[in-house]
Amino acid sequence: MSKIMTVDILSSIKGAQPSETVNTLFEVIKKANTPNNSFNHHHNAVSLDDLRDDIVFDSSQIEKQLILENFPKEKNGFLLVSKVIEE
Amino acid sequence: MESQIHKIHQQLVRKEVTCVKLVQERLILLKSNTHATANSLLEEIALELAKKVDAKIDCGEKIGLLEGIPFGIKDVYMLQGTYTTASSNFLKRYRSPYTATAIQKLLDAGAIPLVKENCDSFGHGSSSENTIFGAVKNAINPDLVGGGSSGGSAVNVAKDLTVFSIGGDTGGSIRQPAGYNKVYGFKPTYGRISRFGLMAYASSTDCVGPIAKSIEDIRIVLNEISGKDIKDQTTYHSEKISKEAIDNVDEIKTVGYFKNFTETDAIDPQIKLDFYASIEKVKAKGMQVKALNFFEPDSLVSTYYTLAMAETASNLSRLDGTNYGNRIEGETLKDTYSITRSENFSEETKRRIVGGNQVLSQGFSDEIYLKGLNLRDQIAKNFENDFKEVDIIISPVTPNTPPQIGDSLKEPLAMYLSDAYTVGFSLGQLPTLTVPQGTQTGLQITAAKNNDELVFKFANFLKDIL
Repeated sequence: MSKIMTVDILSSIKGAQPSETVNTLFEVIKKANTPNNSFNHHHNAVSLDDLRDDIVFDSSQIEKQLILENFPKEKNGFLLVSKVIEE
Repeated sequence: MESQIHKIHQQLVRKEVTCVKLVQERLILLKSNTHATANSLLEEIALELAKKVDAKIDCGEKIGLLEGIPFGIKDVYMLQGTYTTASSNFLKRYRSPYTATAIQKLLDAGAIPLVKENCDSFGHGSSSENTIFGAVKNAINPDLVGGGSSGGSAVNVAKDLTVFSIGGDTGGSIRQPAGYNKVYGFKPTYGRISRFGLMAYASSTDCVGPIAKSIEDIRIVLNEISGKDIKDQTTYHSEKISKEAIDNVDEIKTVGYFKNFTETDAIDPQIKLDFYASIEKVKAKGMQVKALNFFEPDSLVSTYYTLAMAETASNLSRLDGTNYGNRIEGETLKDTYSITRSENFSEETKRRIVGGNQVLSQGFSDEIYLKGLNLRDQIAKNFENDFKEVDIIISPVTPNTPPQIGDSLKEPLAMYLSDAYTVGFSLGQLPTLTVPQGTQTGLQITAAKNNDELVFKFANFLKDIL
């Protein structure tokens, strides 16, 4: 997988281009002084002892109904997705 | 300002007003308001709940403090069966299948939801103009923006259309509109309130918080909605903050402020003048005040937006029109994804998604995203050191007064930089309250992580001296 993916493909947004304004923000980061490029990013880590058990919650009838209603397309009782073409 | 919750509670208990009448009056005001604060009204639910409260009072039953109190909900929170649009074209017909934990806790306490409130689409903005429901107008001067992203919520509270509102704060989205509309807005320590049922923008800084007209009302609501939640593993157990505890300010000896926030040309001269005048009043009360060094505002803004864009690109990738949302069919599945996303997302949301994918891609992640994480660590370390020296940090909420409606959309960089004073505390995950005193857009009060109570103590103290 050495295929180069442009931001419009990565973002699934047609014709998307990097923004000059946003690039201005990124330039500040590039120029910033950091002691090294390591980080200790565990601000929101959950301890192994604190993990909850896997529990299966059955959705209520009203919840199931709303999920079905939110589905964008339905035909003859089936929920329709778009055609998948393998490339 | 006295507590609106206590006042209305007493009126209900003494039967000076019925809950139905109270709710009807607010619904009429919300319908006729011209500040574009309401995306949808919850008339049916609200009136049904109000009738139950009246029936309870009529039977002589005791009601809880929040029972019958009308409130607003930023339109990014799930409330089962109601439209939750995130002010976006994408989800304009999406109905919540379930209810957010914070909102459920308020419903359990008997509070009455009135309205889903206008905001920047998916929280992407600082002016509440990035919305399909029209720009939110400032409560004090309707030519100016309401602030964002929880603009509708802050304006509703300021105009007495809701008693309190539940906003969401990722980089300042509660504190800045609170400042622009002269009300209180609190971003608690990250994890104090469950995010379950809040549409994710940047998960590592997203916070749920109340907006109200008094410290007491903020305290009451905060106590009700805080707590560990099995559905959000970043939540933690917290003690309730008592009314008595916040009356005593004795433990606050030293107050700090960041001199590089104010020693710059980017700040409005009057805000600067007023901020220093507030500092002098604190000193006059015998507290020690220390000037602290901090990161430059442009570094804070760049660090925040780098990480927030990366997280939002990831969070919003689920919005492809497959299972929900406004799907626009293409020839193939991939086409459907990209047409749906291109047509439905606003320009600002697209800008953030693309920026996020840029920094996460190979070749850029090292020099931008990982460096951003490194900077965030340094910012957090800086705060840790500061809170060894001072008990409280105060700062202005914004460098400038609210812009005219239309200006922020034309100048996104100016909009990003307007978050300079709020984003640092988000990156540090610190409890921060906007109080409507001290400068034209208020003051922020910040304490160390998990020390939310101290923020309330200092706010109470400031209320009496400013």
